[in-house]
Amino acid sequence: MFKKLPYYTKRKIYGFLFITPWLIGFLLFFAVPFVQSCLYGFQDLTTTAEGMVGTWVGLKNFDYALFRDTQFLIQCAGSLRDLVTVPLILVYSICFALLLKKEYPGRTLMRAIAFLPVIIGSGVLMDIMKTDVFSTSMNTAESTYLFSSSGLTGFFQSMGLPVGMVNFINDVISKIFDLTWRSGVQILLFLAGLHNIPSYVYEAADIEGANALEQFFKITLPMLTPMILLNVVYSVIDIFADYGNAIIQMIYNTAFSSVRFGYASALSILYFLMVAVVLVVLYLVLKRFIVHAEE
Amino acid sequence: MQKVLYKIKGGKWFWTICKYAILILLAYQLLYPVLYMISSSIKAPADSYDPSVVWIPKHLSNVGFVDAFKSMKYMSALVGSMQIGLGCAVLDVISCALAGYGFARYRFPLKNVFFVCVILTLMVPTQTIILPYYLNMRFFNPAGIMSLVSMITGKATAINLVGNNLAFFIPSALGAGIRSGLYIYIFKQFFEGMSSALEESAYVDGSGPLRTFLYIMLPNAKNAIVTVFLFSFVWHFNDYYMSKQLLGTNRRTLIVALSSLRVDLAALIGGQTTTDPIRIQTRIQAGCLLTILPMFLLYMLAQDRLADSIEHMGIK
Repeated sequence: MFKKLPYYTKRKIYGFLFITPWLIGFLLFFAVPFVQSCLYGFQDLTTTAEGMVGTWVGLKNFDYALFRDTQFLIQCAGSLRDLVTVPLILVYSICFALLLKKEYPGRTLMRAIAFLPVIIGSGVLMDIMKTDVFSTSMNTAESTYLFSSSGLTGFFQSMGLPVGMVNFINDVISKIFDLTWRSGVQILLFLAGLHNIPSYVYEAADIEGANALEQFFKITLPMLTPMILLNVVYSVIDIFADYGNAIIQMIYNTAFSSVRFGYASALSILYFLMVAVVLVVLYLVLKRFIVHAEE
Repeated sequence: MQKVLYKIKGGKWFWTICKYAILILLAYQLLYPVLYMISSSIKAPADSYDPSVVWIPKHLSNVGFVDAFKSMKYMSALVGSMQIGLGCAVLDVISCALAGYGFARYRFPLKNVFFVCVILTLMVPTQTIILPYYLNMRFFNPAGIMSLVSMITGKATAINLVGNNLAFFIPSALGAGIRSGLYIYIFKQFFEGMSSALEESAYVDGSGPLRTFLYIMLPNAKNAIVTVFLFSFVWHFNDYYMSKQLLGTNRRTLIVALSSLRVDLAALIGGQTTTDPIRIQTRIQAGCLLTILPMFLLYMLAQDRLADSIEHMGIK
């Protein structure tokens, strides 16, 4: 019976069979929980011996989150502001990947160090380190600044810089740790992307007399654009789903500390919608700049 | 012409020095937390008060390690982390390679819709679905299969997978583990980059699709396999949310143990230290070091091979 099917139908069935395990997993462990989560957002949930029992309350949870909760929208704005680090992460990781591309003594060691955050940089560890490593005083509340902020602040103030500027510089410095420890995967993806640019393109550019800077802006950067898009998406998701993210902790606490499951679901759905809007906008904007190399 | 060449050579030396200066700076700030961990975990708690002690402690002490080891229940947490990390990594490689190959080489109806779904799984934060996900694991009854089983065996209609490694293994085996979408993407890109000539000759020689996949494509996909294995292992090992929820209250992984180390330590060494963050700090740093140690050692052993594979994983 199966043997009699035409070749192309058979190929279709084989292709479908290859993705079947994933499809089952997708339905069971993603689609069903996702739809349930959406439904929970419209309910008040209480735990009983047989599981969750919900009563429909319509849009009450969403209404509360958007118009009466004093924290939610502020936290959302806060995590949107965190997106400022995305361009910084990209620039930093492109530069680092370029430094790792060519052979030189010590490259292997440097590469090992560059990948270190991927291996050991879990959210929990970063959270502990941030509140600890950079504390030079007993005061842990405002001591998240890298390289002893008090010394730097004093230095800048004695140089006569305005206070606002000093604070800004301190802020940037305090983000360095975050920045570098978030960039592991991005460096790695850029490095993989760099190795995919065929060397004959550079050879041709050399013969034509293009200097290193021209080569970077006219060859390397355009050829990396698909990777840049991937990295933007990855970085945004990474920032939004981070362990230390205030909103994530708020959702978590609402669900498991104050046991308001319905409200937590509503919050997480709203949060997801925000993430999705940001990603779609970024994707549509960046898509125009993508260069597809001709084979 | 000669002069220009000379100039470039002089510039080259300058650039080399600049480059190494930048590299040393980068290396320093990346290694700073690790060095800090080592330095503060081996120093005696009393040294924390001494302002003249910066990096090298005056009095060595292993009290931090002993206390952290005890309050993290280190060995059982390590075993838990390793089981979940290794098991899920192997299962992720299998399921995502299959799916990635299907997406890369075959055409079938709704293929693009399905691939958008793959990307969607990456986009939705775990926290959005964690609650129903947890309940599904707590009362595991996929598509009513367990109800069917219970009609035959007469046991409970749903089984409890919370606290069981299967709560991690089953999603991974079905390509729905932590960040599985990314692994499918990596495999898809990799297989698309491979030449189809090998496969075609295998088909001509009468090999079926599964056989071709197993004997022709997979052996050539070493770099992608190593990359996905490493990512999956690392991310399952370092995961907090899923592990915290799905392991219940009786079992912990290293990361979950680390997250509550401050509280546990306070209980272990008595009340007087809770008000004193400095004294507990050396012990917490020791805990951090113990947590990253297994990963760190494995990475040091295999980093050359691993980093090479990732560098050349061939995704576009």
